[in-house]
Amino acid sequence: MSRGIIIFAQNNEYVNYAETACACAGYARKNLSLFDEICLITNTETLESNETLINEYFDRVIVSSIFQPDNVRLFKDTTDKLEYAPFKNMGRSEVYELSPYAETLLIDSDYFIMNDVLDQVWDSENDVMINCKYRDVSERHKENIEYIDNFSIPMYWATVVYFRKSDFAENLFTLISHIKYNYKYYYYLYNCSGNLFRNDFAFSMALHILNGSVAFDVPSLPIDYLNNSFDLDDIFRVNSHNDIIMYCADAERVTNHLLSRFTNMDLHIMNKKAIGRFIDDFLSNGEKV
Amino acid sequence: MVDTTEKIKTESSADDLQRLENALDFSYTMRTFNLNKNNLRIKTQNLLSYSTAGGSFTVNQSLISFMNFVVSSGKTEISLLDKNDIPIHIENTEKFLDEISSLYFEVVNDYYNEYQKLRSSRKIEKVLEI
Repeated sequence: MSRGIIIFAQNNEYVNYAETACACAGYARKNLSLFDEICLITNTETLESNETLINEYFDRVIVSSIFQPDNVRLFKDTTDKLEYAPFKNMGRSEVYELSPYAETLLIDSDYFIMNDVLDQVWDSENDVMINCKYRDVSERHKENIEYIDNFSIPMYWATVVYFRKSDFAENLFTLISHIKYNYKYYYYLYNCSGNLFRNDFAFSMALHILNGSVAFDVPSLPIDYLNNSFDLDDIFRVNSHNDIIMYCADAERVTNHLLSRFTNMDLHIMNKKAIGRFIDDFLSNGEKV
Repeated sequence: MVDTTEKIKTESSADDLQRLENALDFSYTMRTFNLNKNNLRIKTQNLLSYSTAGGSFTVNQSLISFMNFVVSSGKTEISLLDKNDIPIHIENTEKFLDEISSLYFEVVNDYYNEYQKLRSSRKIEKVLEI
């Protein structure tokens, strides 16, 4: 039974996702031990411009030229800087076909694994595991379940997904792919908010359809919550492979920040520019192949 | 008759303003402490997870007590619902109890130590080792 961690990365003019993915892979390798390989799925341009670094952090690289229609999103770097840039996030639906592993742990390139809890996913009874609950590490968002819209279905976070090769997972990814190519229809059907194609939405809709379009529960990952640091937060210091101090945007006034230290706790750091500012620290604290 | 009604201050002295500023500063410090305290609590929740035989369990006092009852009743194997309500067969109840108890003691002990560090210091810089 092969077990692999897969990360997607495609650079745009705003973020060097390949570097971020390498940092993320380094943290995964340092903190987890029960996987066989860490694999990057990327495009030719991203690989060519970062090949040496990528080969240091990944056991395997898969080049894929997946259809990436225009999907422009607003990137925030705290409240100071806002910038629109293309967001190339459409490849995830193809991961079932592309994954060479019997069991796959798919993680975002900005998800930093800082303990070994995700080692518990391997050999699970469940074909798919994904989290619905999340927590804002700055405590600005009080609720722990987000909905696609106030009158729609619960949102599942595609940030970390476990799946094994199985009928359920295959059908799930077939549906996600179908939703991707017919997004406008499903966007209105599910009363989505925002114009951006979001994998979280596509996964949530596909899970809803696959479970008979009724209220449903999908097995959650061993971690109870996704610990999200939203893009108004910043990084103060990267201490080690399991210790980061963050500037958390204050709930009362987001331009103010409170310091908080995160040890032995996975962090989804959405401020990509902040990761970029500390990329050398992240890379040096992670483990290479 | 003595008038005990406190006069409403129309002007603040420099001393009053300083005290107010200190109070507001302290509120900022308290928010930082509370945020760190909550993050410690969430970290503990995340770490109190134990997986075996394909199931995933949240380790808490109830699970430990129940498993203690199972082991004391002489049952060596049982089926148990995991956190996703999937029935999981536990082949060695004693080993399972040992492992979840050890995990619980280790994680909660770490939580205790970090919590003590946090509450015993008034300076966030010291706690965060900045």
